Amino acid sequence: MNLPPSSLRRLEHSQGEAHVRMKLQSGATRLADLRQQGSAKAILPRVGGVPEVVFLNTSGGLTGGDRLDLSLALEGGCHAVATTQTAERAYDSGGSEAVVAIRHSVGQDGWLDWLPQETILYDGSSVTRSTEIALTGRAGCLMLEMVVLGRAAMGETVGRLAFTDRRSVLRDGVPVLIDPLSFGDEAIAAGAGSAILGGARAFATLAMVGPGAEDTLDVARGALDILGVEAAASAFDGKLVVRMLSHDGWPLRRQVAKVLNAMRGRALPRVWQI
Amino acid sequence: MGMGERWAMNTDLLRLVQWLSPAFPTGGYAYSHGLEWAIAQREVADARSAGRWIGDVLRFGAGRTDAILLAHALRGADLLALTRALFPSAERRMESETQGAAFATAAGVDPQPLVLAFAQAARTLSVEHETVVALYLYSFAANLCSAATRFVPLGQTEGQRILGDLHPLIGTLARDATVASLDAIGSAAFRGDLASMQHETLDVRIFRT
Repeated sequence: MNLPPSSLRRLEHSQGEAHVRMKLQSGATRLADLRQQGSAKAILPRVGGVPEVVFLNTSGGLTGGDRLDLSLALEGGCHAVATTQTAERAYDSGGSEAVVAIRHSVGQDGWLDWLPQETILYDGSSVTRSTEIALTGRAGCLMLEMVVLGRAAMGETVGRLAFTDRRSVLRDGVPVLIDPLSFGDEAIAAGAGSAILGGARAFATLAMVGPGAEDTLDVARGALDILGVEAAASAFDGKLVVRMLSHDGWPLRRQVAKVLNAMRGRALPRVWQI
Repeated sequence: MGMGERWAMNTDLLRLVQWLSPAFPTGGYAYSHGLEWAIAQREVADARSAGRWIGDVLRFGAGRTDAILLAHALRGADLLALTRALFPSAERRMESETQGAAFATAAGVDPQPLVLAFAQAARTLSVEHETVVALYLYSFAANLCSAATRFVPLGQTEGQRILGDLHPLIGTLARDATVASLDAIGSAAFRGDLASMQHETLDVRIFRT
C-alpha cells in the first residue's frame, strides 16, 4: 500500500494496557495478578524491601490516536512503589490526541508511591491524561508528575500543544485532591507570564496524601534548594503539595530526587538514573 | 415584561451587586491570591505587569475554574468535595473558606467555600447565570486590581484602567463557563499557585494570602 507518511502515522497508532494486582501474603506485598497486552508492559524487578512495579510503553512514545491504560491495585496493607521505565515522550500528534488513563488503588492501611519519570511534550503533541489514585480508609499515597516542554539542550521550542493532565486522589470515593493542568496553544503562548510559567519549561507537582502528610512540610521545605529551581510547599487538609519549576528538565529532576529522598528516607526507584 | 417583573429583576441585580461590593463583610480586601508575593518579588511592578498577572489568573487559573464551578453550582450541582479538592495550597483554601464563611453569615446561607456560598445565595435570584458569573469574576478581578493599586503602587486611574481592560475577558469567560463541563476545569497558572505557597513564608505580609 502506498500512503503518504502522515496517513501511515495515523494507521500505526498504538494501544496498550498493563494491569497489576498485589496482595498481602505472610506480611509481605506480593504479585497477585498481571495482565498486559499491546504496547504496555509491567515488570517487577527484584528489589529488597518495598516492591517496585515498573511500567513501560514499548511503542517508544505517544502520538495521535494512541491509547495507554495502566493500573496497579494494592490490596489492604500492601506497600509498593510504581514508576515508569523511561521518560514518556509525546510527539506531534498529526491532529488526533493520545489518551492515557492511569487508575491505581490502595486498600486499607496500604501505601503507594506513584513516581513516574517525566513526560516530555514535543511541539504539536496532543495528550489527554488522567491519573487517579483511589484510597480506602487510612491508606495513603505519594503522587508525582513531571512535565518538560521540549528539550532545551536541543533548542526545541513548543508553540502548539494540547495537554490536559488531570491528577486526582479519592478517599472512599470522595475526591480529596484534584490537580487539573491544561495547556493549550493560548496558555503556551502566555507561558512567559509570571502567573503562568515565568518562561520555565519544566515543572513538577508532588503530592502526599494520607497519615503524616502535613507533618512532612518542614522536611520537604528543607530540601527545596537546588540551584535553578523555584519551589514551594504547602500542607493542608491531610495533604502536602510541592510545586517545582525550572528552565530545563535536568535541574528539576535533581530537585525532585532530593525532595523525594528527604520525604521518603530511602532510595529512589532503581530505574531512575540520577 | 410588566413593570412589576422588571422591578423584581432589577432588585435581584442590585442584591447581587451589594453581595459583591467591597463594603459587604466578606473581607476580600485582606486576600491577594498570591499577588502580594509577586509584588514583593517585583515581578508585578507596574500597571502592565499587574494587568497581565491578574488577566492570566482569570483566564488560565482560578478565575476560569471558579466561573465553571459557579455556573454548575447555580444549576444546583453539589460541588463541595470537588471545590475543596481543587484548592492548590493552604492559603488558597483559607482565602476561599474564610471569605465563604463571612459571606454566608451576612447573606444568610450555609458556610462553605466562597464560590459555593455565593452560588447558594444567587440561586434564588432571577438573573441570567452568565451575568451572575460575570459579576463574580468582576469582583474577584476588582479586588486584585485594588490590591495592586495600593501596594505596587499604581495611580487610581491606572488601576481602574487595568480593570476596564479586563471587561472583554470577563465577558468571554462568563459566557464560556455557562456551557463548559466540569471536566473542562484545568489550570495553567502554575506560578500563580506557586505564589500562594511562597506567600506562606514571606517575611513581611500585609495580606492574609
